Amino acid sequence: MQVDIRNRPSFANLLVHFSPGDSIIAEAGAMATMSSNIDMKTRLNGGFFGAIARRLFGSESIFINEFSANSPGELVLTQPFPGDIVCTELQGNTMLLQPGAFIACDPTVRLSLGWAGFRSWIAREGLFRIKVSGKGRVWFGAYGAIFEKEISGEHIVDSGHLVAYEPTISINVGLAGGIFTSFFSGEGVVTRVRGQGKIYMQSRSFDGLAAWTNSHLL
Amino acid sequence: MRHEMLCQPASTAVQFKLDQGESLTCEVGAMIAMSSGLSVQTTSKSRGGGGGIVKGLKRMFSGESFFLNHFTAEAPEQTLLIGPTMLGDCVHHAMRGGTVIVQGSSWLASSPDIDIDTSWQGFTSAFFSGESMFWVKCSGQGDLFLSSYGAIHCIEIDGTYTIDTGHIVAFEDTLKFNIGKASRSLIGSFLGGEGLVCKFQGQGKLYYQSHTPPALGALLGPKLKPK
Repeated sequence: MQVDIRNRPSFANLLVHFSPGDSIIAEAGAMATMSSNIDMKTRLNGGFFGAIARRLFGSESIFINEFSANSPGELVLTQPFPGDIVCTELQGNTMLLQPGAFIACDPTVRLSLGWAGFRSWIAREGLFRIKVSGKGRVWFGAYGAIFEKEISGEHIVDSGHLVAYEPTISINVGLAGGIFTSFFSGEGVVTRVRGQGKIYMQSRSFDGLAAWTNSHLL
Repeated sequence: MRHEMLCQPASTAVQFKLDQGESLTCEVGAMIAMSSGLSVQTTSKSRGGGGGIVKGLKRMFSGESFFLNHFTAEAPEQTLLIGPTMLGDCVHHAMRGGTVIVQGSSWLASSPDIDIDTSWQGFTSAFFSGESMFWVKCSGQGDLFLSSYGAIHCIEIDGTYTIDTGHIVAFEDTLKFNIGKASRSLIGSFLGGEGLVCKFQGQGKLYYQSHTPPALGALLGPKLKPK
């Protein structure tokens, strides 16, 4: 199964080429177009309670779709906001995704919900996060372009800009500087990520778009 | 008339080079910049065609404007730059006599020989397809330019193809579509967030958009202040 990420970074979408027997798991509502031979099956995302929790706290759907084909075909998957999509290949390791970021994965990848903590909630990153583990490819998206960074030690990310990170990384909420700087610099609360591993950031924040739109409404 | 697509797909603009006497019909408000040797004429009918007020009113039902702008080059080598209001892509479709059905508001510009009319796609398709009840019907020969929010891709359908509601930009009228369910079970289609889809049949070109405004609106809406 070959998957191309097209129209990066502003309107990224996935073009999935199916060979007979291939299948892919996708976020509910992500399908844009597909060949008519592709079969879609809807199922609960994990267990019943896990799915409910994911809907309530993770801003993800209760249901996920499995697309499969017995003959060659194509499928286009997309995300609601304009932005980039990246692919990461899991080799038995785990990645944590921010609510709303997950788009699709190979059927061998396990999806579950992880507790992110109140600190993460204060930093407007959500109370829960999506945990992807196992072996296979995962595609996730963001509003704006996506930057990847290997960190070792501490790194500061503005709140609302963190998209995904490895579980070796811990998250803390902090002020950007002193009380005065934090309040007047427009940076306010930031996320302090600490540890050794990879993080993914988005170049725009959706709350930023909402605030900007609000300030321009008449 | 030559054209060039600039800055695809997020902030696409179309640049035209017109020779003396050549003209182009554009959506009202699409012009970004132009040379001084171009004349603009605003009417409610296609250039040299009939229709007038009735066609203009019908066009308004499909989400387009009452008026059309006709740009005509009165000197050689004139440049015209046009673009849609929203972020998004534009595509060119060469018409050779057939008819293309365009989603309301996706028509951007066309050669003066192309007739722009409104077509009714029936109640069921209008109600369930997530598109408007009236569509723009373009027929004739020449160049047609379409725009939409998101990136635009073309599929050559030969047989059947499924597209989610709200993603249709335009299609050749040799294709017909029915409203159907995304998976075999109706409940599954709705729980899976796909709901109803458009199932195309026939042979011809279909243009679709990668992103849709309602999907963005559903996320942004709850974050906006009440008026």
